[in-house]
Amino acid sequence: MRSWIYPVGTVVILVVLWDVLVNAFSIPQYLIPAPETVVRHLIANWKFLLGHTWVTTYETAGGFLLSIVGGVLLAMAIVSSRAVDQAIMPLLILSQTFPKVAVAPLLIIWFGMGVQTKIFVAFLIAFFPVVIATVAGMRAVETETMELIRSMRATRMQIFWKIRLPAALPHFFSGLKVAVAFAVVGAVVGEWVGSEKGLGYLLLWANANLDTPMMFSVLVLLMVIGMILYYAVVWLERIAIPWHISVRGEGPQATI
Amino acid sequence: MVADIHLGNVSKTFPAKAGKVEALGGIELDVARHEFVSVLGPSGCGKSTLLRIVAGLIPPSGGEVLVHGQPVDGPSSKVGIVFQSPVLLPWRTVLQNIELQVEVRKLDRAAFRDKAHKLISLVGLEGFADSYPYQLSGGMQQRVSLCRALIHDPSLLLMDEPFGALDALTREQMGLELQRVWLETKKTVLFITHSIAEAVFLSDRIVVMSARPGRIQEIVTVDIPRPRTLDAMKDPRFHQAVDRARKLMNAAGLPE
Repeated sequence: MRSWIYPVGTVVILVVLWDVLVNAFSIPQYLIPAPETVVRHLIANWKFLLGHTWVTTYETAGGFLLSIVGGVLLAMAIVSSRAVDQAIMPLLILSQTFPKVAVAPLLIIWFGMGVQTKIFVAFLIAFFPVVIATVAGMRAVETETMELIRSMRATRMQIFWKIRLPAALPHFFSGLKVAVAFAVVGAVVGEWVGSEKGLGYLLLWANANLDTPMMFSVLVLLMVIGMILYYAVVWLERIAIPWHISVRGEGPQATI
Repeated sequence: MVADIHLGNVSKTFPAKAGKVEALGGIELDVARHEFVSVLGPSGCGKSTLLRIVAGLIPPSGGEVLVHGQPVDGPSSKVGIVFQSPVLLPWRTVLQNIELQVEVRKLDRAAFRDKAHKLISLVGLEGFADSYPYQLSGGMQQRVSLCRALIHDPSLLLMDEPFGALDALTREQMGLELQRVWLETKKTVLFITHSIAEAVFLSDRIVVMSARPGRIQEIVTVDIPRPRTLDAMKDPRFHQAVDRARKLMNAAGLPE
């Protein structure tokens, strides 16, 4: 698979560079550990790390799934009525202007220290790109397409299911790709504010103890979670919209 | 016999920044059954607006619009439309795009399957039923759009500059094919174009319009027997009609 060469190559080059720099300048481990140290640390503590990784993964996935459901429902409401659009949109934008980290402590007070709070924080951060992308997609239907479907005497439901929804899918998936990365951030933020498990919690703990190899290990695992979820979305996208130019690339074209 | 299309003193004004814009005024036209009538005019003469009024997509501001003697109060099942762009849904195959008309109108899909395949061969697209639009050339896409306009067996075929986006050679070819399809299916056709040669080649009568406000200047009759081949363009009657139409277009102050 040629398509793997470039991304894997980039990672390998970066890791080699990291290793060379750490050795060349004899950077102490508490500042930047060598890649080898991090790998050793990961292997030595894999069971412990896996437990925390699992917690963060399902918080992220939970928040992400919730953001899909909530985001799509909101988008449908916004597209279906101008009044709803005008009533909700300013609030949505307002909700994006204050940092979620600032409200996270409040959420801990309201919902407790449990998983549900982290899922909620992940949702709060991730749903916005889903809403914006889905709304843009549903509105990206050309005038002639609307005239065509109206000329067939389509009902509102038919217009939604046969035109707006499939037309929105490419935008929707772009939104999901942003949202999935945001969801990881959300889960970690939630854990920072108050928790006793998860990678965010480990990060704080490692920071307090100046355990830099642990911090790097956690960062690596966070990247792995993000990558896996991201490529899960890409995989779904390929199945859902094989016809779209972003997925199919440039196919052969017949001419008569 | 009642005309298939009757337009009595039809007018259309659109709201604009400064008052109103009169797009169409005093349109009087009767199109007989199986007749091929072109509406020829410079851009901005309201010819597309006229088509949309007949299609029931927009209401006229004044006057009487009858299809088969019935007042038009919205899109009807007697009408099939071909737009300037093919307006194919990229997530549907050729066959599925044609069947959109059947699905939305809640007709029996199985019963129309045969008809769809017949239409596909009629326009020379055998073997492409399961292709996606992106795999087809512009001319092929427009043929699919023609099939979609004919699948529910409307008596009226409305075409809004259907070959406007095609290159000159393909355009000629499509003209020939449209004539063949028309002779075979015997629809009443209202054909919007800004090409004089195309209008003369295809039509029984040509409605030449002037711009701002769109009014009928004159109706030119083309008396060349069918089926017409490309040699018909050498016929003196062809030249007469072209000259007449060109003179009228020039008189409108806006050359083709």
